[in-house]
Amino acid sequence: MLGIEDPGIYLAYLLAIACLLFSLWFGITHWNRDDKENTNPKKPKI
Amino acid sequence: MSMLMLGVVVLVYMFLIAWLGYIGYKRTKDASDYLLGGRKTNPIIMALSYGATFISASAIVGFGGFAATFGMGIQWLCMLNMLMGVIVAFIFFGRKTRKIGEQHNARTFSQLLGLHYGSRTIQVFIAVVIFIGMPLYAAVVMKGGAVFIEQMFHVNLDLALLIFTLIVSAYVITGGIKGVLYTDALQAVIMFACMTFMLFWFYHMMGMSFTEANRELTDIAPLVPERFKALGHQGWTRMPVSGSPQWYTLVTSLIMGVGIGCLAQPQLAVRFMMVESTKQLNRGVLIGCLFIFFTVGSIYHVGALSNLYFLQTDGVVASEMIGDMDKIIPLFINKAMPAWFGALFMLCILSASMSTLSAQFHTMGAAFGADIFPRLGRAKNPNSTLGVRFGVLCSILLSYVICYVLSAGIIARGTALFMGVCAVTFLPAYFCALYWKKATREGALASLIVGASTSIFAMVFLHKAEAASIGVCKALFGKEVLIDVYPWFVIDPILFALPLSVLAIVVVSLFTQKKGVEAEV
Repeated sequence: MLGIEDPGIYLAYLLAIACLLFSLWFGITHWNRDDKENTNPKKPKI
Repeated sequence: MSMLMLGVVVLVYMFLIAWLGYIGYKRTKDASDYLLGGRKTNPIIMALSYGATFISASAIVGFGGFAATFGMGIQWLCMLNMLMGVIVAFIFFGRKTRKIGEQHNARTFSQLLGLHYGSRTIQVFIAVVIFIGMPLYAAVVMKGGAVFIEQMFHVNLDLALLIFTLIVSAYVITGGIKGVLYTDALQAVIMFACMTFMLFWFYHMMGMSFTEANRELTDIAPLVPERFKALGHQGWTRMPVSGSPQWYTLVTSLIMGVGIGCLAQPQLAVRFMMVESTKQLNRGVLIGCLFIFFTVGSIYHVGALSNLYFLQTDGVVASEMIGDMDKIIPLFINKAMPAWFGALFMLCILSASMSTLSAQFHTMGAAFGADIFPRLGRAKNPNSTLGVRFGVLCSILLSYVICYVLSAGIIARGTALFMGVCAVTFLPAYFCALYWKKATREGALASLIVGASTSIFAMVFLHKAEAASIGVCKALFGKEVLIDVYPWFVIDPILFALPLSVLAIVVVSLFTQKKGVEAEV
């Protein structure tokens, strides 16, 4: 695959591309999505 | 490339850096601005800064040379940098870190864990590990940058080191994290552009497609030098022989050590607390992955394929062209790339060094001035940044002295030493702070102590790569490592030290929690 015979190498490439595609999907679909949970800032104790 | 052209390019670059540092200085009003950018950092700037801090010059020149010598197996590191360093880090660690950091109003990584577990001891312990361990890592980056300046401008190494340190210190001390973030973003753009250009130029120059080039690289496997075959090298498009020395180095040290180690880097984790909301982190996932894919992925890929170029032009593979692995990529750039690209590549390496170093100085300064001595310089004004600025100055001086005091062998292992200690010491306590409510302060402290002591012991007495350079084991016991039976001395300490650190937090937390419940009853 991709001119590389060892699955130990082409898997690294395929997974890197999968990570890139996931990040594109995630970034675009979650671009404006925020958590609804409110945070409650406290003053530092120490 | 003429010295005049090089000089002009560097002057323009330095002017931009100075200008961005000045903007950072003007926009820094109080300690929160200086340490966290007021928690309102633009997500694109944050993600670019995260990526630029993550990728040092050694990731480009060192690991690029490793790919040229040992092949494409290093692409697992690129994949893990994206998966663990960006996707897992931003989505599973970043969101919770930001929330807990905001809830506690924490401004540093040490403060985050210290406040979460309600323990000043934990805060100080983490800060001390950072302040003592990170100068070693910073010394690697400082020396790397200085050597590069020395080679490019033909100046004395001492002078190069001084100039490089002074430039970075100037914008970190004055501009604080805002100065660091703005300059990082510019440096990330330069790195991204250079690495992407290099990838496309390679295929244009060689006149091959992606698959053709890989196939040719597969076909030249018999040209692997004998000395590397003995270590397990089977060709540039094949993984090394399982269980061979090269396999252990690649899998346990580079892929697992650096791949997992990146999750608990204080200078990276603190960036999650710099943004206003979760959506900024979501955007960061996209930017961060794109950046890693094109910078790290390109240099590892082109590094391995550079063998085809050297074979075509000089009749030998990269490692036969030049013995020093770190000099393969600069040689390839000089020979294969257009002359004008040499100046840009130099900026790329300077950018990679400066962005990592500035984050290190800032993190060490914060550990000193905000965690270890939080009252320093704040007698009259609680929002004063004087203590942290003084801490940054101390950390710079300490790193500078280390460059001269410690041997080159120890400094060369500084990155692995620090990343290993960080992962083993901080990761369990950090993860449990985010995801395990039963973790107690005693458990976290036990994990920190077990992690730090085990990893330091392993590096001094067990793991040959560090133990041989440090030399304590040799001095005490007359041999480089305590267990000199293969493969024990090539297995990275993270593999056994991290489970011990995890075990410590789980067992001690369960035990101390039970005691707490009994006491309540």
